[in-house]
Amino acid sequence: MRSGPFRMMSIALIMFGLTAAVGLALQAAPGSQETQTSAKSPPSVQDPGERAFQKNCSRCHLPPMTLSPRITGTVIMHMRTRARLSKQDEQLLLKYLAP
Amino acid sequence: MKLWQMAGCVLLGIGSVHAQSVDTTSSGAGYVPVISGGMGYVHNVNGGITTLEPQINPILLVPFGSHVLLESRTDFTGFFQRSNGTSGPFTGPFKGKVFKTVEFAQVDWLANTHVIASIGKYILPFGLYGERLQPIWIRNLQDAPITATIGTRTSGAGDGLMLRGVASENSSYSIQYSAYFSARSNINQLQAARTAGGDVSIYLKKPRVEIGTSYQRFLQGNQINSVATYLSWQSSRQPLDVKFEYDHSHNGHGFWLESAYLLSQTPRDLGLLKHLQLVGRVQQFSPLNGGGNGVPRASTQRFDAGLNYYVRDDLRFVSSYGRQFSSLGNANIWNVGFTYRFMIPLWPGRK
Repeated sequence: MRSGPFRMMSIALIMFGLTAAVGLALQAAPGSQETQTSAKSPPSVQDPGERAFQKNCSRCHLPPMTLSPRITGTVIMHMRTRARLSKQDEQLLLKYLAP
Repeated sequence: MKLWQMAGCVLLGIGSVHAQSVDTTSSGAGYVPVISGGMGYVHNVNGGITTLEPQINPILLVPFGSHVLLESRTDFTGFFQRSNGTSGPFTGPFKGKVFKTVEFAQVDWLANTHVIASIGKYILPFGLYGERLQPIWIRNLQDAPITATIGTRTSGAGDGLMLRGVASENSSYSIQYSAYFSARSNINQLQAARTAGGDVSIYLKKPRVEIGTSYQRFLQGNQINSVATYLSWQSSRQPLDVKFEYDHSHNGHGFWLESAYLLSQTPRDLGLLKHLQLVGRVQQFSPLNGGGNGVPRASTQRFDAGLNYYVRDDLRFVSSYGRQFSSLGNANIWNVGFTYRFMIPLWPGRK
């Protein structure tokens, strides 16, 4: 176990490298011209609500595909407390998730 | 009908009355009471010992207008092992019990961007895991990091007051904070230690990087300090989520590094494989002063590799393999199961 730290760091680097390699390989894989173009440039998110979602919610979990408008206000209040959202982001998310 | 059941009905009613009067002219959002949360089942094999772990964690959310929220989460987790348990031959019937824990029960006042005040039992904000990644439907690997108990003694929750919010924000960054004081309590389901602490993080919007630090002072018995430093990064160019945390306390120090890659975000058409998520995590922990208090008493290293399959955004199958190295014994750890997230309105409202 004397070489434990070095072994774990090596494993960390290998796993990180493998994950990144898979990502790079998939990005570079042959596909449609459209997808190749979009892969080279960061996806532009025009909707400020979607930007607020990516900035706050996506740090921890995937976006919900279905969210009933009648509970959206309550859920966003909960997430505002949990994720320390600003009032402005709360309003943007409300308009984005329950327009 | 018991008193707490009557109180619950009254709260739901009051919350619903308030819900009808909320100004929602800026959006179509409704404010009705909600039961949300996660549930799942994990089949765990750790060093040859099988444990069946069904669990459900319902969260009750009752809003009073758009500035006051009552929220509570209760964890029901079962642990079932063979009756001839840890020494073998592991052939008996599965026996165990279901543990019930009120993880938080708090009233929040969402005053403004800068101040959100919470009173009651709240989850201690320390590092990335406890407050944000712990829910069963969020965490990529079902086993908690080795250092998850650092800074969250004794129950993972505090009883008292917590202030949090956004300290400063502009188009480039956002600085968020939490500060709390917890009183000591031995009341059933409200157990907490006398502690004080806080958390500060800065989120850089363009590179999508969050860097933060947490501090806790344990104010009873041997007063000790615990510190965490963490980093979170979601690449905008690669579908990669990386999280790192280093924890240090009187009982030991260690780090974990986790990366997750969701194939659904790749540009190439992978068919059914697009629902797969690849996860890797490495951890290392070294005890100080004999360890204990929830952390190992021997140097421990571990790596995990996980494969999750998202049937829908709220339903997924999870699996992982881990190998733990310790002077107390090495072990293989397997997890297989599923998780599900639910959100159910408790009051009729406009659709």
